[in-house]
Amino acid sequence: VSPRPKARPADPELFLDRERSWLAFNERVLEEAADPSTPLLERVKFATIVASNLDEFFMVRVAARKLAVREGTPEPSGLTPAQQLAGIAEAAHAQTRSLYATVHDALLPALAERGVRFLALGALEEERRAFFSRHFREQIFPALTPLAIDSSRPLPQLANLSLNLALLLAPAEGGEEPRLAVVQVPARLPRLLRSADGQGMEFVWVEDVIRAELGSLFPGQQILDSFGFRIARDASLELDGDDSGDFRETVETEVRKRRGRPVVRLEVDATASPSSVRLLAERLSVEQEEDVYPVPPPLDLRALQFLLELPALQDLRDPPWRPVPFPGLPDSADLFSVLEARDVLLHHPYDAFDPVVHFVEQAARDPDVLAIKQTLYRTSGDSRIVRALAEAAERGRQVTVLVELTARFDEESNIRWTRRLEEAGAHVIYGVRGFKTHAKLCLVVRRTEHGIRRYVHLGTGNYNERTARLYTDMGLLTADEDIGQDASAFFNALTGYADPPQMKKLCMAPTQLRQRFLDLIRREQRRAAAGETAEIRAKMNSLVDEEIVRALAEASAAGVRIRLNVRGICCLRPGTRKSAGRIEVVSVVDRFLEHARIYHFRNGGEEEVYLSSADWMPRNLDRRVELLFPVESPDCRRKVLRALDAMFLDTSKAHVLQPDGGYRRRKPAHGEDPVRAQTLLCEEAAKEPDRARAAAALVLQPLTTPPETARRA
Amino acid sequence: MTAEAAAPTRTASPVAVIDMGSSAIRLAVAEVAPDGSVRVLDRASRSVFLGKDTFATGRISAPTMEAAVRACEGFRRIMDEYKVSRCRAVATAAVREAANRDVVLDRIRLRTGLAVEVIDGSEETRLTYTAVRGALGSHEALTSGTTLLVEVGGGSADVSFLRSGEPVFSGTYPLGALRMRQTLASWRGTHARRVRLLRRHIHGVVQEVKRGMPLSEATHFVALGGDVRFAAGRLAEEGAGPGPARSIPKEVFIRFSDEVAERTDEQIVEAYGLPLVEAETLVPALLAVRELLAETAAERVTVPEASLRDGLLLELVGAGGPRRAEDFTHQVLASAGALGEKYRYDAAHARKVADIAVRLFDGLVSEHGLPARDRLLLEVAALLHDIGVYIQHVGHHKHTHYILSVSDVFGLTREDMAVVANVARYHRRALPQRAHLPYVSLDRETRVRVNKLAALLRIANALDADHAQKLKDVRLVPEEDAWILEIEGAGDLTMERLATAARADLFVETFGKRIGFRETEPEA
Repeated sequence: VSPRPKARPADPELFLDRERSWLAFNERVLEEAADPSTPLLERVKFATIVASNLDEFFMVRVAARKLAVREGTPEPSGLTPAQQLAGIAEAAHAQTRSLYATVHDALLPALAERGVRFLALGALEEERRAFFSRHFREQIFPALTPLAIDSSRPLPQLANLSLNLALLLAPAEGGEEPRLAVVQVPARLPRLLRSADGQGMEFVWVEDVIRAELGSLFPGQQILDSFGFRIARDASLELDGDDSGDFRETVETEVRKRRGRPVVRLEVDATASPSSVRLLAERLSVEQEEDVYPVPPPLDLRALQFLLELPALQDLRDPPWRPVPFPGLPDSADLFSVLEARDVLLHHPYDAFDPVVHFVEQAARDPDVLAIKQTLYRTSGDSRIVRALAEAAERGRQVTVLVELTARFDEESNIRWTRRLEEAGAHVIYGVRGFKTHAKLCLVVRRTEHGIRRYVHLGTGNYNERTARLYTDMGLLTADEDIGQDASAFFNALTGYADPPQMKKLCMAPTQLRQRFLDLIRREQRRAAAGETAEIRAKMNSLVDEEIVRALAEASAAGVRIRLNVRGICCLRPGTRKSAGRIEVVSVVDRFLEHARIYHFRNGGEEEVYLSSADWMPRNLDRRVELLFPVESPDCRRKVLRALDAMFLDTSKAHVLQPDGGYRRRKPAHGEDPVRAQTLLCEEAAKEPDRARAAAALVLQPLTTPPETARRA
Repeated sequence: MTAEAAAPTRTASPVAVIDMGSSAIRLAVAEVAPDGSVRVLDRASRSVFLGKDTFATGRISAPTMEAAVRACEGFRRIMDEYKVSRCRAVATAAVREAANRDVVLDRIRLRTGLAVEVIDGSEETRLTYTAVRGALGSHEALTSGTTLLVEVGGGSADVSFLRSGEPVFSGTYPLGALRMRQTLASWRGTHARRVRLLRRHIHGVVQEVKRGMPLSEATHFVALGGDVRFAAGRLAEEGAGPGPARSIPKEVFIRFSDEVAERTDEQIVEAYGLPLVEAETLVPALLAVRELLAETAAERVTVPEASLRDGLLLELVGAGGPRRAEDFTHQVLASAGALGEKYRYDAAHARKVADIAVRLFDGLVSEHGLPARDRLLLEVAALLHDIGVYIQHVGHHKHTHYILSVSDVFGLTREDMAVVANVARYHRRALPQRAHLPYVSLDRETRVRVNKLAALLRIANALDADHAQKLKDVRLVPEEDAWILEIEGAGDLTMERLATAARADLFVETFGKRIGFRETEPEA
């Protein structure tokens, strides 16, 4: 590992605050929820993403900043943690208000027009209310555990992100202070109940049903006030903030049961009386007033996700995108012989993920295959790839799987499928100490009559068939000899059989990747300084790394044209002074989550195109095992560059980063139609097989006898 | 494609080699392509600081031993994945010099099934030479030129002097980077002062090398080893990948070495992003190469992509299985000749005796049952049997023994040289006996070999007793109770006849038959 650079003075002219940049990203997602031109359920989806993103942001980032207050070290942006927190609170409050305004003023009314209504119990007929009362006694009551809190009893260990009801009870006999009690809404109860039998689309909230029956939980007590609330706790140790824009899975599997960490955010019904809220905040040790977020019910908007699956509403979604089979690769294709002839570049979800699955399945069944080695980062056990790996091991192939699990201890399903792999005879490695293995690599070693050959799949995204339909990612299938050797060396290092190697074409973090990126940037800088045209284009999820930002600014100052497509956080402040003046930063937030990492260097005309699992973040470069790989075959390179071009052409879902850290939506020039990159790429992919078929159908047949017409003539 | 090639024949299973060096254990897995070329499939390396233990304390510590075993276990798994059919594992100075080396190797064998073979400096030199020949091919340094080939290892440096690609001088010198580094660390004083002392030590050793080989005649300089490869990587043109060989101008290399020498280990880590363990050996290694380079007439340093492992691989996949020194007969004899020259031997006599000796060896194969390798040792002993005369004629066979036991002949191990020295010693005078310490320190089997070879050498030497090469040809004819030497000569062979009778003692004792002497008329 190369020595870390020494801390440098803060430079607000060059660095934007990371947390504010994150909030700006979530703001862009919120804009999609607010955009009337987006189909209604997609807007609902974006709203739920904004909400769950905020949950994660508080649990990880805000929690970490709160811890940092004690250290007080300024960020590269020049802000101290306390200043950061103040800014975060202001922006987060505004964003929360804006989110709820969108939900209440736009989304719920629009849903109501389609008959989807969320009703108050009071709006129901007597008979129906009696039904819910019975339902409460039979189904809900047994699951409830009312807890009284007072100064003599310890704080109940309320689960992170759970929904609760707080009650203010009249003072006990002889007491003077009103007492606080808490009822947790059990997470396993459905959050919404149909207001009538059958498939109707009118619902009541379960917490409303509970609230109506609170008297039966505290018999003989006078209930002065009751309201819903929700807490977010510090989970910064468990989560390091993943790169996906949608954090639901992680949060639900991992963090639900963590209790007892400091509360970093308290959301309460806006209807609650200030004094009750103050009492609750005190009991929960919420010190800052700014950490309390009053919201108009319902709390926890993630509950709206269930609407996305309602069959009756599917016309309110984007028409489903069916990934296109890769031209020339029918299911029956012998991938290994295809790869002997050419590389295959897949761009998901435009291209189907099937070839990747087939790659592993064919390897499993091919008797000449000696070994299959694969990294699996957050994969579910029911995936075809996992099944194929188990099959391969059963058939006696050497199978090595490096798994990086979300939840290490209590995820039963993880334990089940990894054990299945082990029982099948696979060599399963549960990560590398100190580093998360984020690289996406699958290596097949196979004996052929020309000797041992290696086939490799390298990707920017996980081996996850589901997200491959939702995230844009790229993958390269190749039989390149150097890449194959590097892949072997990579696995030798990860399995602990050898020290990290010097590689020929791949580049690995945490050992070499940072230096490699810096070298590539500085090479462009040297070329620019020598008067050559120099250009860097890069697409990633986040740009945070201080050293890279400085290198980019220096390169820009030397005359390198730099265009960045950064979906999420960008800490580089563009356009403030000469150095960074030529750097353009665009963010595309659209239907598919932008996830591919592409790095393009002009290199004096001998262009170099790389894909990677890594963003330009310290996390990726220093604390994870990542890979950077070149795309060398001309066809594949063209495909990557065309996709990259499209990202910079977008004038409907693209936002341009401004010097003040804000984003401005990019508009088409006067008289021009807007370009939407993801739509463009869908259309291109749909056309591709036709083109390939046309090319394949064109067979030149020499006529060995004179044609009929000629003879007749 | 021929009919045979079209058959579903597969390339043979891959082979592997392992090299236990002073700072790492390394693996290479390779297969032989249908065209016979070697294709490396996988390389792996594991830092294990065997040298740090051995060179400081003389033994390998328990934790280091465990690390070595673990490295071998990992390599075993890699080899299994390729279904490796043959493997050769060797260990060099760091294991060789460890007092507890047998324990270490036994532990490795028990845990991994790998039988590690300890090789000596001269075998390293030979393997390295094989690798360089493989990497550089028809490069001038290995064909028409005069070349100094240097590998600075952890424990020592192997230096060979090549004429027209043939090693004529070679030796192992105390310029091991790790060993020098450890000595360096024990010196007090500033960095600058320590480097001065280091330079002085290196200078002294290089002067010794100069006495052994004519460094100034070398017009090519080929250097190997991790430290030199690092320098080559820094100094080669930007973008130039590791081709078969990189080449750096002499003055550039010297300047770089001097620059690096000014930096402390920490500064080297900082400046070049090297791990500390590699930074530690960089200065000693580069300065050693630098000093040797400065003594030559070479204008550039050539750094081939070649290592001990490549040499091992080339030998392992060579047709018909492992190749040994037999294939280096030419180089071994050239190197022996150069040693003879150095001690001003009577080349014509030496050559004649050698010719007769191998002739006798071949004629008596059924009698002595020795392998071809011993034929080569006999030939070397015959070539060099008189070099002790350089010191003094009286007792010169003893001087010969002494010189040979401390000299290097390319391609021969120390054990080989012990045989050669003993055989040469008994070319005249006393027969092998219990009172001769160098002789009794050989094992029983080796003593028998020495007896057989010395018996032949005594006869061969007798047959050119006059140093006049009068003998044209000799054949051995078996008779009932004797072997008859049928001699075809020119001139008076009385001296030879008398000498043969006098020197047949060991032959009779060893082979149980008398030697007869019969002159034949040259056929008209």
